[in-house]
Amino acid sequence: MPTITIDNQTFEFEGQQGLLQFCLDNGVDLPHFCYHPAMSAPANCRQCLVEVGMPQRDRATGEVNTDDEGNPVIQFMPKLQTSCSMQMSDGMVVKTHRSSELVKRAQKDTLEFLLINHPLDCPICDQAGHCPLQNQAYKHGPEGSRFEFEKVHKPKHIDLGPRVVLDGERCINCTRCVRFTREVSNSDQLTIIERGVKNYPMTPPGVDFDEPYSMNVIDICPVGALTSKEHRFKARIWEMSKTASISTVGAKGSNCYYWVKDNQIMKVTPRTNMDVNEFWLADEERLAYSTFNENRPEGPTVEGAPVSWEMAWKAAADCLKGVEGSRILFLGSAWATVEDNYLLAKMADALGAPAPVYLPHVEKGHGDGWLQTDDRAPNAQGCERLGIHATSPEAIKARLEAGEVDVLYVMEDDPVASGVCSASDMSGIKVVLHHYNTTNQTLEAADVAIPAATAVETVGTFVNVDGHAQRLRPAKAIAGVNRTLSMEIGKCRADRHGTPFDKWYNESNLVNCQPGWVALPAVAAEIGLEMNYKGPKQIMEEVSSSNPAFSGATYSAMGELGVRLESTGVTA
Amino acid sequence: MSKAGDWRNYKRVLLPPVKDLHKLDVYEANDGYSALREILTTDKWNPTSVTDEVKKSGLKGRGGAGFPTGLKWSFMPPVDPDVPRYLCCNGDESEPGTFKDRQLLEYNPHSVFEGMLIASYAMSIKTGFLYIRGEFADWITHMEAELEKAYEKGYVGKNIMGSDFSCDIVIHKGAGAYICGEESSLMNSLEGKRAYPRIKPPFPAQKGVWGYPTTINNVETPACAPLIIRNGGDWYAGIGAEAHPGPVLYGISGHVNRPGVYEYPTGMLITDLVNEVAGGMRGGKKLKAIVPGGSSTPVLRADMIDGVTMDADSLREAGSMMGTSGMLIMDEDTDMVSFLRRITHFYHHESCGQCTPCREGTGWLENILTRIDEGEGNLRDLDLLMDLCSQMEGRTVCALADAAAWPVRYTIDRFRDEFEAKCKPSLVASGVDLATA
Repeated sequence: MPTITIDNQTFEFEGQQGLLQFCLDNGVDLPHFCYHPAMSAPANCRQCLVEVGMPQRDRATGEVNTDDEGNPVIQFMPKLQTSCSMQMSDGMVVKTHRSSELVKRAQKDTLEFLLINHPLDCPICDQAGHCPLQNQAYKHGPEGSRFEFEKVHKPKHIDLGPRVVLDGERCINCTRCVRFTREVSNSDQLTIIERGVKNYPMTPPGVDFDEPYSMNVIDICPVGALTSKEHRFKARIWEMSKTASISTVGAKGSNCYYWVKDNQIMKVTPRTNMDVNEFWLADEERLAYSTFNENRPEGPTVEGAPVSWEMAWKAAADCLKGVEGSRILFLGSAWATVEDNYLLAKMADALGAPAPVYLPHVEKGHGDGWLQTDDRAPNAQGCERLGIHATSPEAIKARLEAGEVDVLYVMEDDPVASGVCSASDMSGIKVVLHHYNTTNQTLEAADVAIPAATAVETVGTFVNVDGHAQRLRPAKAIAGVNRTLSMEIGKCRADRHGTPFDKWYNESNLVNCQPGWVALPAVAAEIGLEMNYKGPKQIMEEVSSSNPAFSGATYSAMGELGVRLESTGVTA
Repeated sequence: MSKAGDWRNYKRVLLPPVKDLHKLDVYEANDGYSALREILTTDKWNPTSVTDEVKKSGLKGRGGAGFPTGLKWSFMPPVDPDVPRYLCCNGDESEPGTFKDRQLLEYNPHSVFEGMLIASYAMSIKTGFLYIRGEFADWITHMEAELEKAYEKGYVGKNIMGSDFSCDIVIHKGAGAYICGEESSLMNSLEGKRAYPRIKPPFPAQKGVWGYPTTINNVETPACAPLIIRNGGDWYAGIGAEAHPGPVLYGISGHVNRPGVYEYPTGMLITDLVNEVAGGMRGGKKLKAIVPGGSSTPVLRADMIDGVTMDADSLREAGSMMGTSGMLIMDEDTDMVSFLRRITHFYHHESCGQCTPCREGTGWLENILTRIDEGEGNLRDLDLLMDLCSQMEGRTVCALADAAAWPVRYTIDRFRDEFEAKCKPSLVASGVDLATA
């Protein structure tokens, strides 16, 4: 197998590989700005320079020349080479800043150049704290600057489009954003304008940077030149905790991080998962963050009046007790997790009711073959695999109008908004509603309203449109104590969560709601049904062992990147 | 020793003294297109023999780097009928001190067309692009008219002169950026992209215009091809300096009595060019410095040019380069700091901004030199300038950073006392004893 020697350490490699990516993959950290694994390497930042040498070969025989000790003679290239654009070859010898003073000096020099016209407004820059330029300047840069002139001035706070704002002075011209629109999203909405030190990215005349993936350039920007209109100046990076979870907008289940400050989701950024979303996130997935913060209910209600949780469980059970099973309609949800839908189906089964159905939330033509899907709900696949099948608002309406239903039990959905019927048309039947937001239009008809934990507050599983089962992790706490959630949050949050005795404990914005796997067993217990689970992990173990469509989908197997389930032939 | 032989009786061939040579009928009457006809109609010639003849002539590229032309042509991959291949002719002449291509395009455009066709024949190319600096708008108009005439006569286009060789020539107008004269940048500009230079490898012969094999020559280079075919490679190799032969267009500017473009063999003594060809120094002043090949080549002090001839080897020994043979002549009154400041301003203005060291470095160099020129500089600024040159040289995609750094490095190196004199006196230089002050 071909080998390469980096800083006196020899590695084996296969096939055609770029040197920089190989170094990064093998724990050899090299500073860089313009290189991004998903895009071409323009080698323009010149930060990843290394010394590269090849074994010297005899011109006549083609044999490798050796020195007195039998080691190959290495001939180094006269100039430093950019590792991002360098293809590896057998016998190559590379010296990075760890073993070469020349490389160390070059890295320092490039950083000095990058900083002379950079505004150094880190104290007011959103990127500060997670800024590659800042980090690398501290790590590899010069101690001070020898630049004693006025910096170049360029346009600032320019709205490139509805969601992205440009600060031209902070830009270091790495062209990542331009290459993103050219090579990844293919919108061609950005280009570099002006020349030399006045360069900055801009849209062509008359064009708005409004493509559905525009906000990705904010993440890949190695400085604070491109910021989010929604998020800028809202929170510093070190004030937020980040949780690895998945997006719940659409059926793709893009992997993402939820950033939380004071128990509010501040922003959503992509998390790399080469099987799902690669490095990217659609703008709609990012902008959904506010739905987790706004219009949240404050505890359960019965007939519109606030009650305790115990009263709510009893009231919900009372609705179900004594009703003939066939006259109860359980409505599952493509918004709810596999675990919650499973419990609902179990409850329906125990009461002799027909299997739950769910309302699909499909918007034809919304999908783009990439991260946006026609299906606007995250878990239709999971429902189908549980045997909870799609129905239509018309079918439900027909059953309600025919008087076949005495109790409508709605799991985290909104049949009124989906067009089943108006809230007043439900006046003759008992409605139990698990809901996320106070904007839920079915609330008006609900006899018992149970606030449900959203995807960022619960533990559970979603199955995406391709059959990829992935875990949700709680990014923010709910009001009240839940040991399972606490443990999950504890595992994935760097800070900002603890007991009320911890000095960083923060009670603001906690929503008084419950996950489905708490609420459903509580209601079941009031009816006298046994649903004893330690938590969603155990529920999922039962699902994956009893249902072949979920074979292998345990929490430990899903980990952070999920598992691809075998195709069932069923499309949601 | 001059290597140009009996240059006083030299007969011009690139720009012969013929009235209205730019007109097709006049060009034809002066052996025009005869070399192309000979190639296409006699059995003596095939693509390989044409390339070999050019190799034999020893012709070196006239665009600045001086790469052997025949060798460059032979780098093209074997012909694949499904893969287009292109010739690019670089007429984006814009370096300060260089103005010889313009003369050729104005007075002898057909020699460029004929040369391009011969080069295309040698490399089996069907399309040649002639990329001309946008500021040359007047000559572009007149060249387009002449090209149209050549098309009508069947010298360009389909089945040239009844042979099975077809080749189109496309004139492309630049939009005013020096960087477009860098060959890979020129290709991007030609493709309609932003003129950022490309990383090499791949070289143009592997992946050029639109990703296809491409050869790029300065306009003066193919203009030599008809002469080589007509008179033979040996004739060409016998003109001027042995290792760097041929007629060459010297663009002489600055403090001389007769600035202009002069055609003479390579290997001319610089002193001959200044004192005889250009009519001596203006106002009888003393020569102070010479930049021999366009603003990016290192400056030579008057005491460094004794016996130095205009060819690659001699100039390398003297500590400079042939470049484009655009000579800047400066007399004793010239302020070298001011000169360097102006040169640096050019590179600052023209850096494309792709690579960090060049984008940031060129501006910084100009800032410092402006400060020194205005009498506000410090002695340590000179060391900083040298340091910045080291930080730029060899660390960018193209050679513009080197071109910007070399004049700074060599002008300071060779005229350091002038720079020091313009800086604010340091405490030590002004005689203050630091120990007691």
